[in-house]
Amino acid sequence: MARNFKEMKEADYPICAISLETTLLNKTGTWRIFRPRYENKLPPCQDACPAGEDIQRYIYLASKRDYEEGYRTILERNPFPAITGRVCFHPCEDACNRKEYDEPIGIHNIERFLGDYGLKNVEKKEKRKKPEEKRRVAIIGSGPAGLACAYYLSREGIGVEVFEKERLPGGLLRTGIPAYRLPKNILDKEIEKLEKNGVKFITNTTFGKDLTLDVLLEKFSAVFLAIGAQKERDLEIPQEEQKGVLEGIAFLRSVNLGKGVHLGKRVLVIGGGNTAVDCARVAKRLGRITTLLYRRTKQEMPASPEEVAEAEKEGVKIEFLIAPVKVLLTRQKTVKGLECLRMKLGAPDSSGRRRPIPIKGSNFTIPADTIIKAIGEVVELESIPAELEKTEWGIKTDIWGNTNKKNILAGGDCVTGPRTVVAAIAAGRRTAEKIRFDLGMKEKLSDEDKREPVRFAQLNTFYFEKQPQVKMPQIEKRGRETFKEINLGYKEEELLTEAGRCFSCGVCNRCDNCYVFCPDLSVKKLEDGYEFDYDYCKGCGICAAECPRSAITMYPEGEI
Amino acid sequence: MKLEAITGTKKVVTGNHAVSYGVLLSRAQVIAAYPITPQTQIVELLSEFCATGLLKAKFIKVESEHSAMSACVGAAISGVRAFTATSAHGLALMHEMLHWAVGARLPIVVANVNRAMGPGWSVWTDQNDSLSQRDVGMIQLYCESNQEVLDTVIQAFKIGEKVLLPVMVILDAFVLSHTSEPVDIPSQEMVDNFLPPYKPQHYLNIEHPASYGGLTNPDHYFEIRIKIEMAHRAALKVAEEVDKEFQEKFGRGYGLVEPVNCDDAKVIIVTSGTITGTAREVIDKERRKGRKVGLLKIRLFRPTPRERIREILTRAEKIAVIDRNISFGHSGIFAQEIKSILYNEPRRPPIFNFIIGLGGRDVRPEDIEEIIDYVFKKDQPTEDFTLRGVRL
Repeated sequence: MARNFKEMKEADYPICAISLETTLLNKTGTWRIFRPRYENKLPPCQDACPAGEDIQRYIYLASKRDYEEGYRTILERNPFPAITGRVCFHPCEDACNRKEYDEPIGIHNIERFLGDYGLKNVEKKEKRKKPEEKRRVAIIGSGPAGLACAYYLSREGIGVEVFEKERLPGGLLRTGIPAYRLPKNILDKEIEKLEKNGVKFITNTTFGKDLTLDVLLEKFSAVFLAIGAQKERDLEIPQEEQKGVLEGIAFLRSVNLGKGVHLGKRVLVIGGGNTAVDCARVAKRLGRITTLLYRRTKQEMPASPEEVAEAEKEGVKIEFLIAPVKVLLTRQKTVKGLECLRMKLGAPDSSGRRRPIPIKGSNFTIPADTIIKAIGEVVELESIPAELEKTEWGIKTDIWGNTNKKNILAGGDCVTGPRTVVAAIAAGRRTAEKIRFDLGMKEKLSDEDKREPVRFAQLNTFYFEKQPQVKMPQIEKRGRETFKEINLGYKEEELLTEAGRCFSCGVCNRCDNCYVFCPDLSVKKLEDGYEFDYDYCKGCGICAAECPRSAITMYPEGEI
Repeated sequence: MKLEAITGTKKVVTGNHAVSYGVLLSRAQVIAAYPITPQTQIVELLSEFCATGLLKAKFIKVESEHSAMSACVGAAISGVRAFTATSAHGLALMHEMLHWAVGARLPIVVANVNRAMGPGWSVWTDQNDSLSQRDVGMIQLYCESNQEVLDTVIQAFKIGEKVLLPVMVILDAFVLSHTSEPVDIPSQEMVDNFLPPYKPQHYLNIEHPASYGGLTNPDHYFEIRIKIEMAHRAALKVAEEVDKEFQEKFGRGYGLVEPVNCDDAKVIIVTSGTITGTAREVIDKERRKGRKVGLLKIRLFRPTPRERIREILTRAEKIAVIDRNISFGHSGIFAQEIKSILYNEPRRPPIFNFIIGLGGRDVRPEDIEEIIDYVFKKDQPTEDFTLRGVRL
C-alpha cells in the first residue's frame, strides 16, 4: 500500500477506513472532566455490627470456599463466631441492604458455619505464643467481655488470669443462655481456645469477697472488670419476695448449671425481653404450662422477633397488655396466682414505644404456681469497689474502658447496663487494645471508622436475581421438649447459596462489570483488582454506573 | 422439529414467516433484533429456530433497534453473516448505524416491513420509513409477494456479500407481513448450492490488528466514499447475475425491474410493492378492453437500474408513477426518481404522479382504473402530483 496519499491509486485504497496504526497514540484521557476511582466503602452490615466484623469479606471468602480465611477474618474482630453465630441478634441483618430487595443475608448463619468450621479444622493448627511472665493482666468475670479481652491479650503473648465466681467459666454465656440456643460443648470449645493460649481460669472466686483490687494491682499490670449486670429488677408489687417468685436470670442460672429449681405446674413469666422469652421457653421445656405476660403488644416487645416466634411455636402462651398488681398467696404462703390489670396503649414514651396505660377497674386474677420476673437486669452497684466512679447504671469509663483509677479498666454490661453478647465482645476487644497500648505493645490506638455506610439507593441491583434467604434448618417440633440445639446449621451447599446472595455493598469483589463495560478499554486487571488507565479513560462514568456495589466513585478532575 | 420436515416443501406462510424461512435457509450466524409491529413474527420464529437448534445462530436480545444494528455491525465486522429485521420507527432509530454498516462495508441483511411513520400512530403500510433511508447507501429491494420475499432474502445475502454492502429487503405491512400465501420453501441443499458460506474479505482478526472506521481526514475520505458508489454500480450487475442464477437453480426470477406489456404500451404505470399485484389485474382487464397499458414494477430501488428503466419508459407516450409515499413539499419519491432518470433523454414522455394509500389505506383495482382513465384523458399533467382517495 502506497504510504503517500498523493501517489495512491484506486487499487491502493481499502474499501473502508482501516487503520493499521495503533490507536494508542490518541490519549483520550485529556478529555476527562470526571475521574473514576476504585474506592471501597463501608458496608451497612459492618457499620451496624457492634464488633465491626468485616462481614462482606468473610462472606466473600465463604463463597469462594476459603472457610479458613473467612474464620480468621472474623477472629480479627470477634474471637467467638461459633457463639455469636448462634446467639447474636444480628443488627447486621437489620441493616443489610438486601432486605430492601428481597430478604437480608442470613449473616449469623454464615458466621456460625465459619465458627464451627474454625473450631473443627483451624484451631488445631494455630501457632500459639507462650504467655509472658512479666506482663500479666487480671480479668474479673468470664462472660463475653472478659473472654474477648482475654483472647486478644493472650494471642499477643500476654499472660492472663480470669477470675470467675461460678464453678465454670463463661459467665452469662453459660448461666444465662439456654443450651437449645448455645450448646455447652460449643461454649467449652471456644473457651478451650483461650486455655490453649495459656489463659488461666480461676473459678469459684468471687470479686470483692475472695479478691480485692489492691491485691490484684500488686500482682498484675492491669485489671479488667467485666462483671456484667445480673441483678433482676423488682416488679415493685406486694408479696413479690415470696419463695414461689423467681428472678429470671437466677432461674436460668440454676437450670443451666444443673442446680435444682422448684417450679410449680403453672408458670407465669413477666416481661417482654429476651430473658423473659428464654425463661418461658425453658419452663415449657421442663413440662410446665407456661404463660408470658407483657404489658404492651407484640410490636413493642424488646425480645428478638425470631425468639418470640419460636416460643409461640413451642406452645408458650403470650398474653399482651397485662401488668402485674399483686402476687396472691395461699394460707401456707405459697403462690396461688397473680392479680393483674389490663392495659391500653397511649402516646409514645421516651423509648419511642407506646406507653401502656392501666384500664381502671380491669383487675383480674391469673392462677399460677410459680412466677418468674424478667423485666430487665441491672448492675449490682453494691459489688463495685467504692473507689471507682459510677454512673446511674454502672462503672464510669471512657470509650477505651479506662476507669478513674489507673490500670483499672472496665467494659461490657457492668459499664453500659444490659446489652448484647456482641457489644460485650466489642468492649472486651477494645479494652485489650488499650491495655496493649498501655503496655507499650501498640504504637497507636485505632481510629473510629467514620465513613458513611453504603445505602441501597447507591447500588445497581440490575445485576441481581431475586432470591429468598436460605432458611436455617431446624429440628421439628418433636425434640423441643429437650434442651437439644434447635438450629442445625447450614450444610455447605446452603452456605454457598446464601453467601452468593451478598451484594458486597461498597466493596469490589472483582465481578468484572467495569472491565466489561469500559468503552475505552481503560480498566486494567491486576492480580487482586483493577486499575484505571487514565491516559485513555474519558471519565464517562459507565464503570461507576454499572458497578453493582458502588465501589467506584467519580470525582471532578483535579479534586483528587 | 426437523429441518427436512419444514423445508423443501410448499407451505402456506405469512410474509413475515417467509422472511424467517429465508434467513433460516441462508444460515445467518448472528441475529439481533428488537420487536416492533408488524415485524415481530419474523424474529419470533427465528428465535424459535435458534432455540431449537435448527438455526445455529447467536440470537442477541437488545434494548433498541440502534443496538440491534450495532450488534449486527459488531458481528459482521468479525466476519459472520448477520441479520436483523425492523419497521418504521425502529428503522428510523437504526439510522445512524445503517450509515455505519455501509461505511464499514458490511453485508448485513435487514428486513424492513413498510409501515407508516407516526404520529398519528399507525401500524399500517406505506413506504416513507424505508425511503427516508434512501441515501444511507444500502441496497433496497421492494417485494410483491411472500414467495418473492423469501427468495429475495436469500438473494440479498449473496448480493450483499459480493459487493460488500448491506441490503434492505422490504415488504408491505399486513398486506404481505400478516397475509398467508402458498410459498415454495426450498430445501437446504438447494440454498446451500446457491449461497456459499460467507467469506469476509476483511474482518477483525487479532493476528493482524487493525482498527475500523476511525478518523478519516479530507485526504482520504472522498475516495473511500466514492468506493461505496462504485460498489453500487457493481451491485447492478451482480444483482442481475444473482437473480439469473437464482432463476436457473430455483425456476423463479424477478429481474431488477419487471416490465409487463410495455412493448407496445401507450401508457405505462410504474409501481412498487404490493400495488404491483393489484395493477397486474387491472392491466389485464384494460388490455381485454383494448387499451394499450403497460406496467413497470420497480424491484431494485437502490442502486437504481437507470439504463433499464430508460430503455422501457422512453417508449411510452405517457407515464404514471404511483407512489405510496410522499416527500412533503415536493411530490412522490418514485416519481422524482423516474423524472430524474429521464430528464436528459431526447424523448421524454409526460410523467403523471399519483400519491395513494398512505398509512395503509386500501389501494383498490378501481383506484388504478381511475388513474389509467385520467392519464388517457389528459395530454399533460396539470399539477405536480395528483392525490387519489383522500377526503380533502
